[in-house]
Amino acid sequence: MTAISHTAASLDDAGEPRARIASWGTLLAAPYALYLVLVLLVPLGIVTVYSFFTYSTTGVALPVLTLRNYAQLADPYFLRLIGRTAGIALKTTAICVVLGYPLAYALARAKGALASLGFFLLLTPLMVSPVVRALGWYVLLDRNGLVNTVLVACGAGRQQLLFSEPAVLVGLSHLLLPFMVLPLVASIERIPPSLEEAARNLGASPLGVFRKVILPLSLPGLISGAVLVYVESASAYVLPALLGGRFVRMIGNEVYDALLVSYNVPQAAMLTVALVVVTIGILGASMALARRAIAVGRASR
Amino acid sequence: MSRGRAVFGSAIVLIYGFILLPLVVIVGVSFNAGSLFDFPPKGLSLRWYDALFAQSSFLHAFLDVSVTVGVATALAATLLGGLAAIALVRFRFPGRGFLEAFFLTPLVVPHILLGAALYLYFARLGLSASLTTLVISHVLIATPYVVRNVAAGLVGLDPAIEEAAVNLGASRLRAFLRVALPQIRYSVVSSLVFAFIVSFSDINVALFVSGPDTTTLPVYLFSQVQWQSDPSIAAASTVQIVLVALVVAGLQKTFRARIGM
Repeated sequence: MTAISHTAASLDDAGEPRARIASWGTLLAAPYALYLVLVLLVPLGIVTVYSFFTYSTTGVALPVLTLRNYAQLADPYFLRLIGRTAGIALKTTAICVVLGYPLAYALARAKGALASLGFFLLLTPLMVSPVVRALGWYVLLDRNGLVNTVLVACGAGRQQLLFSEPAVLVGLSHLLLPFMVLPLVASIERIPPSLEEAARNLGASPLGVFRKVILPLSLPGLISGAVLVYVESASAYVLPALLGGRFVRMIGNEVYDALLVSYNVPQAAMLTVALVVVTIGILGASMALARRAIAVGRASR
Repeated sequence: MSRGRAVFGSAIVLIYGFILLPLVVIVGVSFNAGSLFDFPPKGLSLRWYDALFAQSSFLHAFLDVSVTVGVATALAATLLGGLAAIALVRFRFPGRGFLEAFFLTPLVVPHILLGAALYLYFARLGLSASLTTLVISHVLIATPYVVRNVAAGLVGLDPAIEEAAVNLGASRLRAFLRVALPQIRYSVVSSLVFAFIVSFSDINVALFVSGPDTTTLPVYLFSQVQWQSDPSIAAASTVQIVLVALVVAGLQKTFRARIGM
């Protein structure tokens, strides 16, 4: 009898004694919830607290509250660093949108073996370590690399490609393109092909079909992909360390060095908090802009 | 119209070229007979693989650390995340809506922040870098994928079959284990595999929480790229690429369809 009532309870909660249902669900969810509190929330809390502590040359930090760490942000060096990081993240997102849309559309409409192959060739690089993929670009963009060989053959001459912003942009877009494509595919798959056909029959050009049908209906996928790509690229540090070197430093490189090289824990903590705040701020602003643009677009139609 | 299709088709081929080129180059360089990163390779040889497998630091990073931590992470994350997914899909309890969002938060916190936070946390607790701290950190970034995967599998089940088992006298737990679990076995297997790969390829968090004796394969590669550059790094990278490609192909064959995250 109790077993049957449990089944019923789990399927719909109508007319069940709440306490018993609650205890089972809570029991199963508790281990992971507890884990997240201990391994995610407490460490994040510690970082936030450290960001207000005073720098100490001898220990981790002096437990004396100060705003001095945050005052460093007014320094032109840090302002440039934040500007460069936000700029690289925005450009990477734009590149991923441009490359991701055609690819996502092709994958969403592909069938059978071609679709399997397409997903295989997208997912395998995604799961290979970022270091390996950065190394690939390192070899390609090297002074004697393939890209330079082609440039010389074309008469453009040998170029210094590594350790530049374009190198970082290429590497980051390569790293994050699947994060844009996968949510887009999920969105585009749900658009019935008959809708496109109808638009075409009514005289829309391929570009018109994209603008009037695909783009508005895949907007949720576009937004979630863009957010992922932006957040990931804004907080990148392994890739800029390898392809940007000393010349294209991002906030992540500064955090890493402050924590593991110069042992300035309060500064590292302040920079991670600043990174999150700036990221959320820019995301919020772009969302508001996008919403406005959509509203204007609707009104003018 | 067909010209438009041709343009679109070549654009797709070019984008795939962009995606695959770095990996193709790495694999090519690893078979290079010369001692530089020549691509196309100047003659084929396996000398860099010989050099690689003669290095105990590589074997240690690959087998003793990365594979071990990956397997432990896969098991722990699938257990934690699987139970959490069952709770979310099968039960109604106070705070369920909040937990549904909370359980996915590690996905949206930048990894540099997680790495820095865990580094300071373990230092604060007096824990030095070990396989355990690596597993604890990797479970954090792998479990959200498990929750999503298992929950998606459970949502698609027809509850009537399980109910029938219960009506025929099976206990609630037995009905779940014998009826529901076999039906979601693919979700469970893919969760194990995903969690393994998340751990196996992670560099962002591992750089902060791995120590001198617990260097993972990606961390090993990272330091090799910075300090010593010969094609044996490409050989080590190729080992990673081949392993991941086999796993992805295996998953696809099992599902006969698309897998996504």
